[in-house]
Amino acid sequence: MEAIEVTDLRKAYGDTHAVDGVTFAVRAGETFGIVGHNGAGKTTTVECLIGLRRADAGTVRVLGEDPARRRRALAQRLGVQLQDSSLPERMKVAEALRMFGSLYRDAADWRRVMDRWSLRPLARKAFGDLSGGQKQRLMLALAMVGDPEVVVLDELTTGLDPVARRETWRLIGDLRTAGTTVVLVSHYFDEIEALCDRVAVFARGRVEAVGTPAELIARTGTASLEEAYLALEGVDR
Amino acid sequence: MKAFTALTAAELRLLARDPASLFFMVAFPLMLLVLKRGDGGAVPGYLAMIAAIGGMGALPGLLASYRERKVLKRLATTPISPVLLLGAQLVAQVAAALAGAVLLVAVTITVFGAQAPADVLMLAAAFLLCSVMVCALGFVIAAVVRNTRGASLIGMLVMFPMIFLSGAAVPRKALPGSLRQIGDFLPLTPAVEALGDAWSGTAAIFPLLILAGIIVAATAAGAALFRWE
Repeated sequence: MEAIEVTDLRKAYGDTHAVDGVTFAVRAGETFGIVGHNGAGKTTTVECLIGLRRADAGTVRVLGEDPARRRRALAQRLGVQLQDSSLPERMKVAEALRMFGSLYRDAADWRRVMDRWSLRPLARKAFGDLSGGQKQRLMLALAMVGDPEVVVLDELTTGLDPVARRETWRLIGDLRTAGTTVVLVSHYFDEIEALCDRVAVFARGRVEAVGTPAELIARTGTASLEEAYLALEGVDR
Repeated sequence: MKAFTALTAAELRLLARDPASLFFMVAFPLMLLVLKRGDGGAVPGYLAMIAAIGGMGALPGLLASYRERKVLKRLATTPISPVLLLGAQLVAQVAAALAGAVLLVAVTITVFGAQAPADVLMLAAAFLLCSVMVCALGFVIAAVVRNTRGASLIGMLVMFPMIFLSGAAVPRKALPGSLRQIGDFLPLTPAVEALGDAWSGTAAIFPLLILAGIIVAATAAGAALFRWE
């Protein structure tokens, strides 16, 4: 069963073809990585997946639905963490979790989510007073508070210290154990290698290659996913 | 409904935590009342002023900052509908203005012994319409001006002359003729009139209709121009 199917997706902003014929599928329960340099079309693709943008051409199906037409129904089953989004400065951590939880029909218990993401000590702290890593952790927790079937995470651990990063990896691993489908956009190859079942390499608005990290390494005859990526990008080492 | 209530309650809590909102919508009108020695005749104007400070002084900058900092974008990935999202902002602003207004009226009557408003129902109706109208104007400003600083500034630049020329802060009788004529064309003027009429018990329906018309027009313009990012 495919949780996500993207076929020949195209999206242009003026003369710039941000996404120029992207095709890939994510299986239910899989943790799927998307890598690529800035401007490769990753974020635009993600925004089409969650219904924030309408594609110029091609089809997108998430849990069998078209996100552009059925955004709100799909949003009930989706958890999203966006690149550099934020909350009102004076909103407190516990308030944010409770409020976001109340936006979903079948939400998780927000207190439990708060504990799982180690946010209880910060419960009464205002968003504006949190450190970068604490904000990132809260935004991740907010992606989980609706008890989603599919989670889309753009820049998972940017801004996290090494300890918090490993802790986040563990929690993403828990999601896979629970059968949640995860789409992970990241710049960190160690992260992709540790967490993802399969990876799509984006370049110039297209998918250059899809496969397990081991397959991509073998196909390019390299020693690591990072080197495999550079080889696929055509960068001389 | 649960989602709408939660969003509205969260927004009200944020307003109550904002020292600027608290000062301008609660303390400042009370200070003006003290300076006026508790003159009940000035209160209808002050009620319009409370609403205008929230809807035009604060709301445009608030919405623009939510847009700029991608708060709106994050909320747009949840199941809430965009209309309810903006509706919650509106209800929170109106409720905050109402709290400031009720307090001002109560102090006027109990502390200064002024006569109670003659037509409380019409006063409430006029205040709600006035409050919704200034918020609708605030939406238009947030729709037209894209960044936070610009939206706050334009909000203030529109609000301040309006509260002086519409008779909200000072009686229009005190204004020179040409300035009084400008006031005839400002949307806050019929609001001040409607509030004053209800206070003295000579309530007329016509100013209320004008307010309703401005609400419809401004909401349509705001909806057509508003951008989420």
